[in-house]
Amino acid sequence: MEMEKTGAGVAVLSAKEAFEKLEKVGEGTYGKVYRAREKATGKIVALKKTRLHEDQEGVPPTTLREVSILRMLSRDPHVVRLMDVKQGQNKEGKTVLYLVFEYMDTDLKKFIRSFRQTGQSIPPQTIKSLMYQLCKGIAFCHGHGILHRDLKPHNLLMDRKTMMLKIADLGLARAFTVPIKKYTHEILTLWYRAPEVLLGATHYSMAVDIWSVGCIFAELVTKQALFAGDSELQQLLHIFRLLGTPNEEVWPGVSKLKDWHEYPQWNPKSLSTAVPGLDELGLDLLSQMLEYEPSKRISAKKAMEHAYFNDLDKGHL
Amino acid sequence: MEFDLEDPLVSLEEEQTFTISELFASESEHVPSPNCLTSTHFRVFCCEAISLILQVQVSCKLDPFVAYLAINYLHRFMSSQEIPQGKPWFLRLVVISCLSLASKMKNTTLSFLVIQKEGCYFKAQSIQRMELLILGALKWRMRSITPFSFLHFFISLAEIKDQSLKQALKSRASEIIFNAQNDIKLLEYKPSTVAATALIFASHELFPQQYSILRASITASEYLDGETLSKCFDLMQDMMRMEAKELMIDTSFLSTETPVSMLERNTKRQRI
Repeated sequence: MEMEKTGAGVAVLSAKEAFEKLEKVGEGTYGKVYRAREKATGKIVALKKTRLHEDQEGVPPTTLREVSILRMLSRDPHVVRLMDVKQGQNKEGKTVLYLVFEYMDTDLKKFIRSFRQTGQSIPPQTIKSLMYQLCKGIAFCHGHGILHRDLKPHNLLMDRKTMMLKIADLGLARAFTVPIKKYTHEILTLWYRAPEVLLGATHYSMAVDIWSVGCIFAELVTKQALFAGDSELQQLLHIFRLLGTPNEEVWPGVSKLKDWHEYPQWNPKSLSTAVPGLDELGLDLLSQMLEYEPSKRISAKKAMEHAYFNDLDKGHL
Repeated sequence: MEFDLEDPLVSLEEEQTFTISELFASESEHVPSPNCLTSTHFRVFCCEAISLILQVQVSCKLDPFVAYLAINYLHRFMSSQEIPQGKPWFLRLVVISCLSLASKMKNTTLSFLVIQKEGCYFKAQSIQRMELLILGALKWRMRSITPFSFLHFFISLAEIKDQSLKQALKSRASEIIFNAQNDIKLLEYKPSTVAATALIFASHELFPQQYSILRASITASEYLDGETLSKCFDLMQDMMRMEAKELMIDTSFLSTETPVSMLERNTKRQRI
């Protein structure tokens, strides 16, 4: 039987009618990302388009769960806001979803790069403010049982004028990340990956995001990635050279992880050698973020309470 | 620490103060719009649909949370639509689609074939179109905030030490909430109010000596309005009285097969 249209006869603009695409700014596994203008308001948005695959069981569960998660998380000022979800049809009559996000003009990766190019350091209070916002946004996600699992400077959007930072690319939205080009020397997702993930742990915890936050913290200070490996093994060796090769004493259970092997034995070095220019309180916070044992790593909420942030004016954050 | 990343019925196992207030702030997005509650069509439609959902719950041995979630979607969706007349297939399609969406959010495998064993059979494409219609109307807010989301918070206010007591309290309150889902009148109240009321009843039943302490700590919460809580309490009391009455009749019937019991039972049946 043919299903007739139901509900009140309210005209709903299709995505194509509601938005004017200005430029394509990204492409991923599932679709394209556009900078667009909402015709009714003139507001600039990021449109992420994905085809909804026809399925014998209706709307795919993954899509359903992840869009719902994004809708819930969008209440926090430090998570990029999913403003709307629009349904449309493409030329072949297939259902298409448009995720409408607030547009942010830059990201932390570009921000750090701009300082690297000029040779200047990022001001300490700016670092502190950005780090506080990051911890706050992550605490919000974790408070809702959501892990990000792929935190990196490229996924942290910024408004250059207000210095506001927002977490992006949670769940389905992550599928729209600009793909890593082959043969590039930079492998983004490895540099911020927690050691337990690299060693094949099957049970993730909130701690994997905290490790990434720690790596980003160090990078804000030095403008260089803290652990810049080009393979999983090299990534581990970079970590071990600085923090010492882990053993059962400092990390109970480490040798039982799936991908554990024998590694060269390094003694831990002081963090200050790798992150010169960070004060004692900052180094203490960083060391707690880079604890080997996941359960001992500081939580995002506890990090917000750390003395490093005491002199930060948090009123507008 | 185990994290349930997929649980669509948001609950807070750790307490984060800003998350608690955020939960209270957004619960109104997960209830049906108020205008519909006076509509006879809405009530009749929803009663029939809920009956169908509960039938599927029994026949498919569904997790009661899946059925609860489906009913939440149903109420929210139908309160935003005009009830179509003369389309008997519409009710079944909405029910199947709400159950499908709820089972996906709950990460339960529930095939279309299983939930529509009898009656007319809808194509997957038709169900997907209805799913998308429902999703659009609910603005893809499918991680519903329900009374279950608030139980842990209210229990924590009472500072009960005994873990088994807390668990028993939570279980009984959940049972009360499940049983209450049939009554449309309860939709007038926010999920947090329903949760608080259910806990007060549960504590009175299970731990009379702790009742006054728990009631005082819950009603003192800044997030609850005392007058509204009182009205919800009265409504739930009526519902509980009805439940108790039915239970007594059943018990009475089993213990003494007297003409009086039979008469009462027949009267009850006629009333339905």
